[in-house]
Amino acid sequence: MKRRLAPIASLATFVGGWYLLAYSLDKNFATDDGSALIIPPPHRLFEGLNERTIERILTATGISLATAFVGLVVALVLGWGVGLLMASSNSVERAVWPWLIAIQVTPVIVLTPIIVRIFGPSFAARVFVTVLVAVFPIASNVLFGVRSIPQSLRDLFVLRRASSTQVVRELWIPAALPSFFAGLRVSAGLAVIGSIVGDFFFTRGEPGLGRLINYFFLDTRSGPMFITAIAASILGLGFFAATGALRKLFVDRWHQP
Amino acid sequence: MQLQSVTHSFNGVCVIDGISLEVKAGEIVAVVGPSGCGKSTLLRIAAGLLAPSDGSVHAHDERIGFVFQDPALLPWRKVVNNAKLLASRNDDAFVTSLLESAGLSTHLNKWPHELSGGMKMRLSLVRTLAMRPSVVLADEPFGALDQITRHHLHDELLDLHSKSPFAMVIVTHAIDEAVYLADRVITMSPAPGRFVATTEIKLDRPRTSALRYTAAFGELCGRVASTLNEASSPQRGSTMQVDSTPKRTSSRGTT
Repeated sequence: MKRRLAPIASLATFVGGWYLLAYSLDKNFATDDGSALIIPPPHRLFEGLNERTIERILTATGISLATAFVGLVVALVLGWGVGLLMASSNSVERAVWPWLIAIQVTPVIVLTPIIVRIFGPSFAARVFVTVLVAVFPIASNVLFGVRSIPQSLRDLFVLRRASSTQVVRELWIPAALPSFFAGLRVSAGLAVIGSIVGDFFFTRGEPGLGRLINYFFLDTRSGPMFITAIAASILGLGFFAATGALRKLFVDRWHQP
Repeated sequence: MQLQSVTHSFNGVCVIDGISLEVKAGEIVAVVGPSGCGKSTLLRIAAGLLAPSDGSVHAHDERIGFVFQDPALLPWRKVVNNAKLLASRNDDAFVTSLLESAGLSTHLNKWPHELSGGMKMRLSLVRTLAMRPSVVLADEPFGALDQITRHHLHDELLDLHSKSPFAMVIVTHAIDEAVYLADRVITMSPAPGRFVATTEIKLDRPRTSALRYTAAFGELCGRVASTLNEASSPQRGSTMQVDSTPKRTSSRGTT
């Protein structure tokens, strides 16, 4: 019970603060029908939520989920590839690393319009944006994982006369798994953010969560806007939990940090 | 296995200087010396993990096993699969028997992190012996263990050695360990490491723990200790016994 007290208290404080903000904000409620304009209090969150709106939020969640998922999978494959290549050769690392840093430090939001111009507002363009934000933590952590292999284990594979393929498959990949999952956890969150931020620029086709929230914002429908934000948050949590579950499956059994 | 006038430098600094060593089949040679005298470098060169700056290693047709300072287990492989790592594919029965004699047969499906320090080192030994080596090179394998575990492992190692006698070079800084295990203890000087003394250990085998409390054992330990002290003293130059003139030869063993 004691362990649960802290999270319950923090949730209660959060909901209390929410109510306080909703009722203390100036002009938060419309004078004619009393609907919330800026922040709906928690118990009125679902007001103005009809079947059509629910359907739109669900579709948008599906689109953002698909974008983030495909983007993350591509980033995962690319990240492993680039990470292992950099680990195999200092020259490759010196050539590739600055570009990875450049991708990481350039805010993706400034690249999105350029990407839309080049690719058009396609699914591929959305995925491209997601890959851009999600690839760095995976590639850098794979590199770090391989570089951290103790000399004795490397020597062991030399003495075993292992082929390069064996070294990569039986030593590098498993040894890099713990740090890869640390990177994946960060990348999973970034992939969701990437898919939603990129979405603001995709003005054609079914909207994802980013464009939908903008639509509700312009329409001053604060209830659905909040529900959309919560859907995005649940999506992020889902990705976070999924990477945790994968880590548990593949690494936690044998890895003691 | 034979090392001839092996010299090695790191960044222009000579760490071992003109070392020659021949290890006969089934013989156990211990190398003792102060920290940083190049003992580990010598072993890495003998194993073929490092090419010497000068001199040569002949290890024709030798199957070389290496026991590292740390157990060097693959944490993602269970005990049994770590043990099989270096073994031939059809040698499962032999690996099983080794695991049994090392007292690990009830831990086969554990992960390495679930083992104690002593068990990890046992597994590391089993893994090396599972490849049926003709030469075992061991780099301070028991350095991180407590004394009781270390003594147990000495006996287990000697037991395994008596069953399938392999040649062994063990590097250690524990004089009693060197004397208990070896047929010959070689003393190295501080860097650049040279062989400065050899002490023959003419104690009967099989050796048991009781041996540690005999006068002969104590005397041999004392003798090795005095060679170490002498090697570390400033006038050590006068006691050099080895030819330190490096000879360049083109042949190198396929280790």
